[in-house]
Amino acid sequence: MSLQVKLQNASSEYTKLQMEMSAIVEARQKLDAQLSENEVVEQEFAKLTPENVVYKQIGPVLVKQEQDDAKKDVKGRLEFISSEIKRVEAQLQDIQKRSDKKKQELVDLQAALQQAAAKAT
Amino acid sequence: MAQTAAAAGAPQQISVTDLDIPQLSDVRRQLEEELNHLTNSFAQLKQAQSKFKNCVENVKEVKPENKDKPILVPLTNSLYVPGKLADTGNVIVDVGTGYFVKKTTPQAIQHYSAKITYLQSNLDTLEETITKKRENLNYLLSVMQQKLAQQQQEGKPIQAS
Repeated sequence: MSLQVKLQNASSEYTKLQMEMSAIVEARQKLDAQLSENEVVEQEFAKLTPENVVYKQIGPVLVKQEQDDAKKDVKGRLEFISSEIKRVEAQLQDIQKRSDKKKQELVDLQAALQQAAAKAT
Repeated sequence: MAQTAAAAGAPQQISVTDLDIPQLSDVRRQLEEELNHLTNSFAQLKQAQSKFKNCVENVKEVKPENKDKPILVPLTNSLYVPGKLADTGNVIVDVGTGYFVKKTTPQAIQHYSAKITYLQSNLDTLEETITKKRENLNYLLSVMQQKLAQQQQEGKPIQAS
């Protein structure tokens, strides 16, 4: 019977890992969307001429901002997002490894259980 | 058509004809899900594109002929205040992530037109993918029907090895 308990524990741990993984994948996708959005803005800023005044939206108002400041801001954001993507990517790899290991454990346990059942009959 | 579908559908898998019926319906479900997702994205892109097209039309109305003509500015859905166009040479464009840029009207039209062409290229590639997926699905369905007919002819369900 202890095999069965082990199997149950392993399978609940596995589903937990899967859930964690999908949360991380979601975060990764969100970061990707943010990255491309900021890239579009960066490209837009690259095309500006000096008479194009830049405004930044703060709540319901638009505040005038220097072009250089805005460019620096977006660059900083891009850097931050890139580093976040690296971090999340590492997390994803780690959890992938752990979940693969758990899966193997599950398969082994199932095989052992089946063997025990075959012996018993 | 069936041949191209088979070639596109099974590059990394074994031929679809080797699968048994439960496996086939799994693949079918997966394909249908993908197709759904893709058509949804397509509709969303189309919507975004028509919004940009509207923007171009609207910007075109900001022209010197319309200077000083009375207009109604919506403050809420039901509250309008009278106003006048003071500056017909410039508009402020939302470029994303909370940034707005003051542009001349030709610049703004160019900006939106670029967006429209960009979206169009995306739409074209997406349409191609959707057609391919649909062909795959049709091919898969015909294979499934064949298998089912075969099973019925042989009298009882067989398990493919």
